[in-house]
Amino acid sequence: MIGFVTWRLAQLVPVLLVASALIFFMMYAVPGGPVAALVGENATQEQIAAVTEQFGLNRPVAVQYVDWLLRALTGDLGQSLHSREPVLKLIGERLPATLQLAAVATLIGLLVGVPLALASALSQGSWLDRALSGWSALALGVPTFWVGILLILLFAVELKLLPAASAYVPVWQDPWQMIRNAILPAGTLGLYVSGIFARFLRGSLITEFNADYVRTARSKGLKEGTVVARHVLRNAMLPFVTIVGIMLAGFIGGAVVTEAVFTYPGLGRLVIQAIGSRDYPLVQGCILVILAIYILINLLVDVLYVYIDPRIDYG
Amino acid sequence: MTPVLPSAALASAARVVRRVLAQPAAAVSVAFLLAITVLAFTAGLLGLDPLEQDMLAMLEGPSAAYPFGTDELGRDILARVIFGARTSLTTAAGAVLLAAAIGVPMGLVAGFFGGWRDVALMRVVDLMLALPGIMLALALIAVLGRSQSAALVAVGLTGVPTFARVARAQVLSLRKRDFVTAVEAFGATSSYSMFRTILPNSWSPILTQMVVLSSVAILLEAALAFLGVGIPPPTPSWGEMLRTGKEYLYDAPTYAVLPGVALTLTILSFDTIGRALSSVLEGRDTAVPQPRAERA
Repeated sequence: MIGFVTWRLAQLVPVLLVASALIFFMMYAVPGGPVAALVGENATQEQIAAVTEQFGLNRPVAVQYVDWLLRALTGDLGQSLHSREPVLKLIGERLPATLQLAAVATLIGLLVGVPLALASALSQGSWLDRALSGWSALALGVPTFWVGILLILLFAVELKLLPAASAYVPVWQDPWQMIRNAILPAGTLGLYVSGIFARFLRGSLITEFNADYVRTARSKGLKEGTVVARHVLRNAMLPFVTIVGIMLAGFIGGAVVTEAVFTYPGLGRLVIQAIGSRDYPLVQGCILVILAIYILINLLVDVLYVYIDPRIDYG
Repeated sequence: MTPVLPSAALASAARVVRRVLAQPAAAVSVAFLLAITVLAFTAGLLGLDPLEQDMLAMLEGPSAAYPFGTDELGRDILARVIFGARTSLTTAAGAVLLAAAIGVPMGLVAGFFGGWRDVALMRVVDLMLALPGIMLALALIAVLGRSQSAALVAVGLTGVPTFARVARAQVLSLRKRDFVTAVEAFGATSSYSMFRTILPNSWSPILTQMVVLSSVAILLEAALAFLGVGIPPPTPSWGEMLRTGKEYLYDAPTYAVLPGVALTLTILSFDTIGRALSSVLEGRDTAVPQPRAERA
């Protein structure tokens, strides 16, 4: 087990290396290069020369990359061009907000998606099944930012029940305010993801219902509820865990649009702001951190597998 | 799948179209997309102008003159939604073609030659899939700057991994089939086998992916515009309209509704046709999309 985790962590190294190199050279390819972003459009030759000297931008790109990489390894992702603060500090400030949003959204997705999948799979082919399939197609197809706008229109503009802009309130500080602020953005993401959850789980439930061991369980005279809860659900949950993990990981960097709709102070908005102000060290740092977290969550899911499914042994 | 001759291909294409249109939801979707395409490209003839400003009628609700109201510059929202369809559809079409033009050869080469080429190309694909599509597009736009072609390239490149995977899977399943072996026995070059023998027999999953990815591309383009990094104004775009509409939710609540309806119906239509196509062509419901954090 420890061997497996170490192996997977070791695999992370080349991926992050290649990714960081790609990101670095991409940023270098910006028209005018990083200097233009630093000094602005109306800079004099002297200013350009001074900045180039100051940041060591006259060295070969590869040398600059290695330099950046070595410092990144010690946890120094550089300084934001805009606020002059360390990149890692800025990311650290936004990360909790994004993690909390991702967790609440996934929870809402599960609370809506799992019962839908169960109801669908138990009434396979009926009008209810068809209606629920329609619902998940809708949840998947409607753009999250439009759903967000409609929710703001209804709950903030018309009913004046919830804030139109969502602040980050840590759950341990004030659970009630956390719910009031997070319910709209998390609900928007949660509804979308419930469509995916429902569709995947319905599929794997139906596969399990047709398996031999279910027939055996039924012929032993087990109650249908026991068959579903004890046997079918447990097995169907296995592939489902991966999907939940992927979605949760995806929310870390992928909730940009929803964060923008609700002006939620998460990591995604930090990236947008960084791109807007051409703050390349910040863009670089954010993308690298998002990628690392994404891969780590996927690793965690694989490890979790061993605990849910005793048949899997990573040796 | 068997090798197809041109006339047989036409006949089978007609059969596929008939079977897709036999599904009511797909027929409605095709009709909607046709209507919106025709409208988008003939709107100028109807006297609609997406840029004309009426300073006396800013942020007005629906009226006889402006059935869907006006925006903050007194422009006709209906006209802008119709012209926005042009932006959306052309960007998406370009992006999907670009994705296929890069992804399909990548997948063919990876699958055909295997070995180090396969490993290298597929690692690139994995890396591209590891970042949420929107992040990849944002990083590209940070580099390329903000323009319609940048949006097209950014959206297109996010679709490359999907085509690479589909094409690779096709090669792997067709590679050892008799008709490919026969062509190779006659001394065909690798590129002849790949592009003239395997590719023509792989059109059905690739076509299905093109339709499915059209919906993703439209959504992604709109999302980029919504974030303020898409196609720059004053070109009308649905995402940009939703972005501005959101600023005026209290003054003009109907502003953000119509662009959203147009966007959603277009996306749902492509999704529906994609599902119908995959059920007809592959006899299965590949409706389950790639799980991505947001549909963007």
